[in-house]
Amino acid sequence: MKILVCIKQVPDMESRFRPNGEKTWYDESDLAFRMNEYDEYAVEQAVQLKEQLGGEPEITVLSIGPERTVEAIKKALAMGGDRAVHIRDDRYYQKDPWQIASMIASYAKGEAFDLIFTGMQSQDRGSAQVGVIVAELLGLSCATTLVGFSYDGGTITVKRELEGGIKGVAKLKLPALVTCQLGLNTPRYPTLPNIMKAKKKEIASLTPAELSGEAELTATAAIYPPAKKGGGLVLEGDIGVQVDRLMGILKEKTAVLR
Amino acid sequence: MDFELSQDHKVLRDSVREFVEKEIKPIAMQIDEEHMIPDALVNKMAEMGFLGSYLPEEYDGAGLDMLSYAIVVEEVSKACGSSGVLISAHTSLACGPIYTFGTEAQKKKWLPALNTGKVIGCFLLTEPDAGSDAGAISTTYRREGDEFVINGSKIFITNGGYRGTGVLFATSDKSLKHRGVSAFIIDLNSPGVEILKNEKKLGIRGSYTTAFALDSVRIPAENLLGQEGQGFKIAMDTLNGGRIGIASQALGIAEGAFERALAYSKERKQFDHPICELQAIQFKLADMYTRIETSKLMTYKAACLKDAKKNYTAESAMCKMLASEAATYVTKEAIQIHGGYGFICDYEVERMFRDAKITEIYEGTNEVQRVVISKMLLS
Repeated sequence: MKILVCIKQVPDMESRFRPNGEKTWYDESDLAFRMNEYDEYAVEQAVQLKEQLGGEPEITVLSIGPERTVEAIKKALAMGGDRAVHIRDDRYYQKDPWQIASMIASYAKGEAFDLIFTGMQSQDRGSAQVGVIVAELLGLSCATTLVGFSYDGGTITVKRELEGGIKGVAKLKLPALVTCQLGLNTPRYPTLPNIMKAKKKEIASLTPAELSGEAELTATAAIYPPAKKGGGLVLEGDIGVQVDRLMGILKEKTAVLR
Repeated sequence: MDFELSQDHKVLRDSVREFVEKEIKPIAMQIDEEHMIPDALVNKMAEMGFLGSYLPEEYDGAGLDMLSYAIVVEEVSKACGSSGVLISAHTSLACGPIYTFGTEAQKKKWLPALNTGKVIGCFLLTEPDAGSDAGAISTTYRREGDEFVINGSKIFITNGGYRGTGVLFATSDKSLKHRGVSAFIIDLNSPGVEILKNEKKLGIRGSYTTAFALDSVRIPAENLLGQEGQGFKIAMDTLNGGRIGIASQALGIAEGAFERALAYSKERKQFDHPICELQAIQFKLADMYTRIETSKLMTYKAACLKDAKKNYTAESAMCKMLASEAATYVTKEAIQIHGGYGFICDYEVERMFRDAKITEIYEGTNEVQRVVISKMLLS
């Protein structure tokens, strides 16, 4: 079995976010980076499947981004990936989900993967489109936002969260692509011996030009911080009056008391 | 000259940090209060490879380098100084000398269990009357057939309470001073090894600090580490490397306290403003951060020199001195920034203040470090 896991390196969500000079992406100088949280679930699920199948499947990790992206790739390799492909692209942030997905599909087409894992979305852009577009481009069956996964004899059974806390179960035949959601599993910590082993694993480097020349479908026009609002509403006076006013506001303007 | 960590070291640092945030930070206060690191945490750290980070893979170590080891101890100590010194004493003072001075047979026999944390290592040098003057130890050994017989006592043995594997120093003849000292590998479950007590301490309370009586303890002759009479050299060389571990521990404690002080200074409001807007607090933060960064540079430099197999004696003494003094300074100022809250146990800088002090004392007092540094200058 050949497995592909697509990961992205994203800013740590505790970073300070500011638009860059072009106002099309974040100013990266203040940012710390880490692997996209949802992609960690994807890596973990792939490694668990490999373990279930006695180590037979080969796990390839793919990521698109600048040189620093290798840090996220190495983490995925230390978690249990076997080899990696780094599509080196310093202008990755100018590409829309269609272009990113086209590059991934172009690489994956020749590799005949049986199963592709991705995160359900990236924490920075959050479009949740790349996985499903890749599935469409490759003609794979696809299920999104997984909170449960099992594999048995060429069929995968997935659990998804629906509205109102209802769970749905779906069965898919391989080849398939699934996107992973919080709650699917608990990603393992890379251990020191595995970090050492990861140093010896292959990381192939490709350029975007080798994969796809698709033009963008959605261009980012601008990103900006929201306008600063006033300092909010401060309730004053007797505590009983404050409570009554707060209750009134919660009833009128929010759904919490309905 | 590049002061950036490599990608591999960043991956390592982030992985260790994640582990520490989730597995150690939430129980650091409990470790201090209960005077014990839970076995479950020791086992998890062992599974992570923290107990054999820079030892080669052929002896079941992780096969990383000294800089990786320094980063591990630093990151762990940010949350818990007790757990930091467990790793440092175990790796630098037990795995280290067995790897450096042991025969192939000794390495094969003792290192895999140590490196994977199945047994915890310690270093038995200090005695009631032999601290900085390590050549003055009076624990004796004599040869009897295929065995050495050890008699004496040891105190202040970090990790001693685990009764694992020790590197023990004893003399054949006290009048020979340091020339009479030899080193041995000892299984602390051997008959005649008695734990007198685990000390109660100001800080690093989760770490065992053990006093031993050694009453006619028989050690197989094959457990002699290095040559007879080479013990003092082995001890000094081991402490030389160990100082990088203690510097990393001190650095971590300082960073942990600084992170809390910085965050608190932004949250705490007095006179209608966060106290970080007061220059009195800003200057404290600047001084604290500068000492931390200076210590970090020297600690990483010492580690890199050791990795490059260059002489690092002065740097390891300097980093231990700088980082330990940064730790006591930064933790003290962290309490000051917290005001009265800092004096309360719940705010944790109180514990860090207590944990910091020992780093100026053990693995060579800072006075001894100054001797080492000035010797290098004047030789």
